[in-house]
Amino acid sequence: MAIADTESQRRWRNFRPNGLLIATLGAALCVALPLCVVLSFLLTANSDVWAHLVDTLLLRYTSNTVVLSLLVAIGVCAIGVPAAWIIAFYRFPGRTILSWLLLLPMAYPAYILAYTYTGVLEYAGPVLTWMRAVGSPDWLMYPILHIRSLPGAALMLSLVLYPYVYLLARAAFLEQSANLMEAGYTLGQSRLSVLRRIVIPMARPAIAAGALLAIMETVADFGTVQFFGVQTLTTGIMRTYYGFGDTPGAAQLSSVLLGFVAILVILEKNSRNRVRYYSDQTRRLDHAAQHLDGIAARVAQGLCLIPVVFGFLIPTLLLINWTVFDAQIQSLWELAWNSFALAGGASLLIVAVALLIAYANRLFPSRGLTHMTTLIGLGYALPGVVVAIGVLIPFGAFDAWLSHQLKAWGVAPQLWLSGTVFAVVFAYLVRFLAVANGNVVSGLSRIRPSLDQSGRLLGLSQGRVLTQIHIPLMQSSVLTAVLVCFVDILKELPATLILRPFDFNTLAVRAYELAGQERLIDAAPASLCIVLVGLLPVILLNRSIGKL
Amino acid sequence: MTEQATEALMIRDLTLDYGDNRVVHDVNLALRPQELGCLLGPSGCGKSTLLRSIAGFQPLTSGEIWLDSHLLASPGVSVPPEHRGVGMVFQDIALFPHLTVDENIGFGLTDWPEAQAKQRIRELLDLIGLGAMGARYPHELSGGQQQRVALARAMGPKPSLLLLDEPFSGLDTELRGRLASEVRTILKSDGICSLLVTHDQREAFDFADRIAVMHDGHICQMDTPYTLYHEPENAFVAHFVGPGEMVDARVIDERSVASPLGQLTNDRPLPFEPGTSVKLFLRPDDLIHDDDSDYHATLVGKHFRGAHHLYEVSLDNGVVLGCFAPSHHNHAIGESIGVRLDVEHLVVFPTTPSVA
Repeated sequence: MAIADTESQRRWRNFRPNGLLIATLGAALCVALPLCVVLSFLLTANSDVWAHLVDTLLLRYTSNTVVLSLLVAIGVCAIGVPAAWIIAFYRFPGRTILSWLLLLPMAYPAYILAYTYTGVLEYAGPVLTWMRAVGSPDWLMYPILHIRSLPGAALMLSLVLYPYVYLLARAAFLEQSANLMEAGYTLGQSRLSVLRRIVIPMARPAIAAGALLAIMETVADFGTVQFFGVQTLTTGIMRTYYGFGDTPGAAQLSSVLLGFVAILVILEKNSRNRVRYYSDQTRRLDHAAQHLDGIAARVAQGLCLIPVVFGFLIPTLLLINWTVFDAQIQSLWELAWNSFALAGGASLLIVAVALLIAYANRLFPSRGLTHMTTLIGLGYALPGVVVAIGVLIPFGAFDAWLSHQLKAWGVAPQLWLSGTVFAVVFAYLVRFLAVANGNVVSGLSRIRPSLDQSGRLLGLSQGRVLTQIHIPLMQSSVLTAVLVCFVDILKELPATLILRPFDFNTLAVRAYELAGQERLIDAAPASLCIVLVGLLPVILLNRSIGKL
Repeated sequence: MTEQATEALMIRDLTLDYGDNRVVHDVNLALRPQELGCLLGPSGCGKSTLLRSIAGFQPLTSGEIWLDSHLLASPGVSVPPEHRGVGMVFQDIALFPHLTVDENIGFGLTDWPEAQAKQRIRELLDLIGLGAMGARYPHELSGGQQQRVALARAMGPKPSLLLLDEPFSGLDTELRGRLASEVRTILKSDGICSLLVTHDQREAFDFADRIAVMHDGHICQMDTPYTLYHEPENAFVAHFVGPGEMVDARVIDERSVASPLGQLTNDRPLPFEPGTSVKLFLRPDDLIHDDDSDYHATLVGKHFRGAHHLYEVSLDNGVVLGCFAPSHHNHAIGESIGVRLDVEHLVVFPTTPSVA
């Protein structure tokens, strides 16, 4: 008996690492699947629709995507950099509160901001009605009336995406060594010159990294551009897929979009590397900050409040107002249940997979594993539309094959994979595994190997090390991972829209549908739900920054 | 005013406060043109604060700072750092990470005609021995190379005074000693008056013409390394600039004292009355191992240094002294060995105020 015991123990010990490695390999394959499927269509013969696309629409899709990206880049820098500047270099009443209020717009998906502003700025809406009543000039009312345009979309996206730039620029400003500025002074440079030649250039990689993240979100955006009628690559993919029913065409457009994303990912990595070189200085800037009072303090407060007011306060008050007084709420509970159950289940699954991968990396580090983890990290850069198309094509092919095989057995053809919750969850896994993995890995890396080793030397088994040392220490980072995934899934629109089972609605999808029917006010309750839940990770983010 | 004409840097009765803490008390300090000075002291003695006040980053409470006959600072007067003509090399090197070596060195040369600025950068690169590395970025250089670039950058605009704030402390020991001498050579060849701050006695000796030893916000003594080592004015300086021990002695007459190792004669009159009990400060190089000596001591510790031994010997009265011995005189611990004193100048302190 004793021999059998050790035998099984040994088998277990041998099995466990393999299990972890297989899980990692499987996850990497999941992420690789849609990517490979989409790219494989580059090699296949071009469809007629594709030829038509290249002739007519591709240029428009591409140029609109590029112009929108540039406008958003300008927008997020114009809002994010001055805000970061004021918070980092000045001290004034309310600075601490403003420093985290500035993060709140992150809770908004851009499309919800778009619906809300469209609702309040439409021709018969309160703003224009009032402006007509007081006799405002046409040139002032015209842009407001035409919020549904490419510049309008850029404005909406900038208002919710500027926190990326704000956060990274603020960190860059704060991390700059006071010695560097002093070195500038001892070399005979004036304050302005030090600013122009040291402070701004050194923060530039961080600002660029923030702007590139914002652009990545912009090229992936579907809800805002679709609602505003801006024809970009994402709307083009949807239109080719739904409108023309041309899967290969949609896949080929997706690879064009992927090309964009690839360039952005490379640029972003580059900026990040430079941020690392630029920030290993020792003395923080804190004591060099300038105190403001009187009018200067009011101006600083005012400038920081503008993005908060337009990116969060106004839309939130509108949403609350509409939800409480005007909206026709239909089956909100069912929607919320669908959304929360889907997002909850999927994020638990995703974090579980992320934990397996993190442990595989910790216990059996190898180069292959590192590559796989990098591949998984790419998932987050994939636009939801692309993931959806990349999942739909192989799943659809599998369904067709299975139905064909089963016909002989008299089973009616049906959708076994595509159009099921499984497909939706699969897409979420591809897209959000990187988010979960990042959080889990950062939590795990804080537990030094010497802790494991002392645990083992004090008589704990590997399993007990997990339950008695790792789990208590990992709790908060695992919870953060679950929460961040949960909210990302809740906000996700295009993948859910394409892959969801027939008649299965989530908050995001319902808001999209109601907005599509111009029932903007009725979309408010669903939108408000998303935003309020979306606030949780923002608060968490702020707390974790506060600890630094 | 005549004083300021001969001195490059002139600090008079300088007092500095850090919040409610007085960190520098009534300091007087002067550096001659082209002189390499050093502020040597333990951490927290106020030396860095003093340096920062010269650069213009630390307001002064009272006193005056003059440079080349210009008043830089006094209560109510403060020339901004960028107009002082003072260069500084920082402890954390503080190279601009976004600029190449060339651009870093040329950073302070914006007002120079382009050709001259280029010429100056070339000249400095050659001086620091990094002629081929002008296009590199700081992170592509080793620690020692970065430090030399930082030096060249500070020297670029030909400042009237160069300040060096513990510039070698981030480097490893081996590199540190070498770099201090190298920097000395570079600064001497450019003739820049400089002031180094350090807590490392060897670094100070390698670098400076004259060293000011600081303790608790005061300058205890300012002298050449040789004089500081051999003629310290108080016990703190004696201990801080090198190893040594105090032994009890008694003054016999104007020039001689009685010590546990025999009677010793000074090269100049002693400022003590005959019969006074005093403390005699002895360095390891004052005590020599000599098999023929009448005096014996017990070997209680030995440190082999390659070229010589540093022995620790215990005298009959229990006092343990350092003693240098030739490399091949290999005695065992516990052995009684012959020792004799070889001192030209006696370092004698009064017994009462014992500062260690």
